[in-house]
Amino acid sequence: MGGKVTCTLGEVKNRADFIVYWGGNPAECHPRHFTKYALIPKGKFVPRGRKDRTMVLVDIRETKSARASDIFLQIKPGKDFEVLTILRALVKDQPVDRSQISETGLTIEQLQDMVERMKRAKFGVFFFGMGLSMTRGKHMNSAAILTLAAELNAYTKFVAMPMRGHGNVTGADVVMRWQTGYPFGINFSRGYPRFNPGEFTTIDLLVRGDADAALILGADPGATMPQPCIDHLARIPTIVLDPKVTHTSRLAKIHITTAVTGISAPGTAYRMDEVPLPLRPALQTSYPTDEQIIRRIYNAVASKPDWMIHNGKMTSAQI
Amino acid sequence: MRITGGKVYDPAHGLNGVVKDIFIKDGQVVDLPVDGRTIDARGMIIFPGGVDVHTHVAGGAVNFARAMTPEDHRRTTAFIRSQTTRSGIGGMTPTTFATGYLYAGMGWTTVNEAAVAPLSAKHTHDELRDIPIVDKSCCVLLANNEILLDLLQDGEYEQAQHLVAWYVWAAKAYGVKAVNPGGVAAWKWGKDTGQMTEPVVGYSKLTPAKIVSGLAQIIDKLGLPHPMHLHCNNLGAPGNLATTLETMRSLEGHRAHMAHLQYHAYGGNDWNSMRSEAPALAEYFNTHPNFTADAGAVLFGDTVTITADGPWQHLLYKLTGRKWGNIDVENETGCGIVPYTYRPNNLVNAVQWAVGLELLLLIDDPWRIYLTTDHPNGACFWRYPEIIKLLMCSDFRKECLSQLSTKALKRIHLAEINREYTLYEIAIIMSAGPARALGLPQKGQLGTGADADLVIYNEDDDVQQMFGHPRYVIKGGEVVIDEGEIRATPPGRGLLVKPSYDETIETFLRPKFEDYYTISFDNYPVEMERVEQPTFNNCIETP
Repeated sequence: MGGKVTCTLGEVKNRADFIVYWGGNPAECHPRHFTKYALIPKGKFVPRGRKDRTMVLVDIRETKSARASDIFLQIKPGKDFEVLTILRALVKDQPVDRSQISETGLTIEQLQDMVERMKRAKFGVFFFGMGLSMTRGKHMNSAAILTLAAELNAYTKFVAMPMRGHGNVTGADVVMRWQTGYPFGINFSRGYPRFNPGEFTTIDLLVRGDADAALILGADPGATMPQPCIDHLARIPTIVLDPKVTHTSRLAKIHITTAVTGISAPGTAYRMDEVPLPLRPALQTSYPTDEQIIRRIYNAVASKPDWMIHNGKMTSAQI
Repeated sequence: MRITGGKVYDPAHGLNGVVKDIFIKDGQVVDLPVDGRTIDARGMIIFPGGVDVHTHVAGGAVNFARAMTPEDHRRTTAFIRSQTTRSGIGGMTPTTFATGYLYAGMGWTTVNEAAVAPLSAKHTHDELRDIPIVDKSCCVLLANNEILLDLLQDGEYEQAQHLVAWYVWAAKAYGVKAVNPGGVAAWKWGKDTGQMTEPVVGYSKLTPAKIVSGLAQIIDKLGLPHPMHLHCNNLGAPGNLATTLETMRSLEGHRAHMAHLQYHAYGGNDWNSMRSEAPALAEYFNTHPNFTADAGAVLFGDTVTITADGPWQHLLYKLTGRKWGNIDVENETGCGIVPYTYRPNNLVNAVQWAVGLELLLLIDDPWRIYLTTDHPNGACFWRYPEIIKLLMCSDFRKECLSQLSTKALKRIHLAEINREYTLYEIAIIMSAGPARALGLPQKGQLGTGADADLVIYNEDDDVQQMFGHPRYVIKGGEVVIDEGEIRATPPGRGLLVKPSYDETIETFLRPKFEDYYTISFDNYPVEMERVEQPTFNNCIETP
């Protein structure tokens, strides 16, 4: 199985009567998600808003989001894949071993109740966070929840959506896909795009020390990446474009201060459901935009003759 | 520039292989000799540049398909960065830059992206801008728009007309596409439509037939240069000929372009008894000049299916067990994506392969049926030269028929058809005809004042080789392809139309946005800056 059965957030607002957040804490990480899209709004087919919706939170600990839920399912850490697979089996009335259920931290009654509610929903949705997609099992966990959503469509309408964040990460993903065919982890060293997560992804390149320079745009890896990555970024010429001082800008060789996109620079951001939104600046600034700087760097590089290393010497080359 | 000594096929002017010099100045064909480069085209064949009336090359759905098929990107043609080109990937869903190179490399210079959800039209235009060389138009999806459906149910046709015009302009589109009218709206509840005259799920009176005829009427009244671009209900289903004919009958007196007609011409009751009904459909079509159609032909091999027809894609996922992508778009439409392999030994696929060719061969007026594969649904657009060979060589068709099972041969009519397309007819179905259907007078012809988009082939008995490898391709008076090399990658134009509407429609719509959408009214329309070299076409008077 692969693919993704999803929708735009307006579909959730107007139709969803059964909402599951899995491995995420939207109350603190996506604070407008409940109120603008998923839980509170009155919708065309859920006219009473919150009262017409059931919300389930699946997580390993009781976060603030649990208070907003109708049902909180606390599972054991690292058992997301097992829970999802058991749910897939129960949806299809397949037998499940009791010992496997006890490993998950949930009871068969809780799981059966979940299955019945999912099937009974008119429009169900899974929102899954990094607690699912970045913990033990990683992309296998994402595949399991996406498969469960797809399979539930044999019974009712069901969709799934990752809870993406970090500024315009969805926009970067969308543009890379139309220009290269791939969303991230792309290597251009052979003159055409190649994709291999685990080999060409940023963390792997930095941990191995493969990168000999870094240009950081709209991100602060110095705050989030593993220590070996941070150490390597500090070793090589790292250039940071950011409106403010960040962990990464402190270890960079060069920090260029930029205008804040959406406040003093225009642009387009993609929402987590890939709906593009125009950004119109409210303020003026004397700082250049990211785009202006990248274009200037590009033009400066393009004006130099192409070169290659031949017999240990730099010589001009024809592309 | 002057192009001398070539055999010119310009069906719009009745030129059938006439040796004629062509003069180009400032991107247009001119009467009088001009200075500049001379291309010696003796022994060569000159066509107006190809026009693709129905393709899926940009926007949320195609980009979703790209994400879903990395395994195809890895095995397919890679485009390496050069001094004139940017890098990219070919294959089932080529990346944007590669799309421009592949179309132009084959001599196609205008493409119509057939399905744009207005909510993400900004995305579509941003992608179209990254497709170089070719000129681009797009059609906006409206036949499942809930605000519009409510108006149609209430019989508010005048208001509905203003709404349609507003959406076309807001999305910076060129035409209107109707996909499975009512069916995609029903899919929002996991359902589909049944009969043309049964109410759509969630509506008391509104039927698919009323949506289809209502939209056709509105589009004719607005005078959009391209008629309603219609993907009928019951796509792909055995026995769907009845639905297709019922739809066409409900459109008498209106113009309509029937998209990928191949998918709508089947008989039988189930997958096992499915058969070609191309002769019956062609017979009706031949006597009803209010219709144009594109073939949506199928070729055997791997591809990925992309359509706004969500319920059909759910069925295809269940049939194949392969990957399934689906996006429902609030208030407007949906889309589904399933990778697919057409196999000659599969009965259904064999029927589909034959139906596409049968329609192209049995519809007697080439001005009304156009060469498409509904890229990438039936096959990828870069395989068009294979279809041209199938149309021009009945011996080659017979050779291909020998791959099919005896059971399949009983379900199709291709073996009995001996017609062979001429070069003149190919020039019509690949260029002159679709340009006329799109209402683009400057395209698909080489008369004075036409856009200087043309393709020059080395005459070759192997037509697949000839059409796959033009000697020169000229776009807007500039040589872009020279013996397989990409010489220049000028930006293409965005083709637009601005139908008139009563501005008070905005007063009606603005408060609705709060309920139907999650983005604000003011953020919704596509800004003009997103369209590259906007070029306007006029609305027309319709009878």
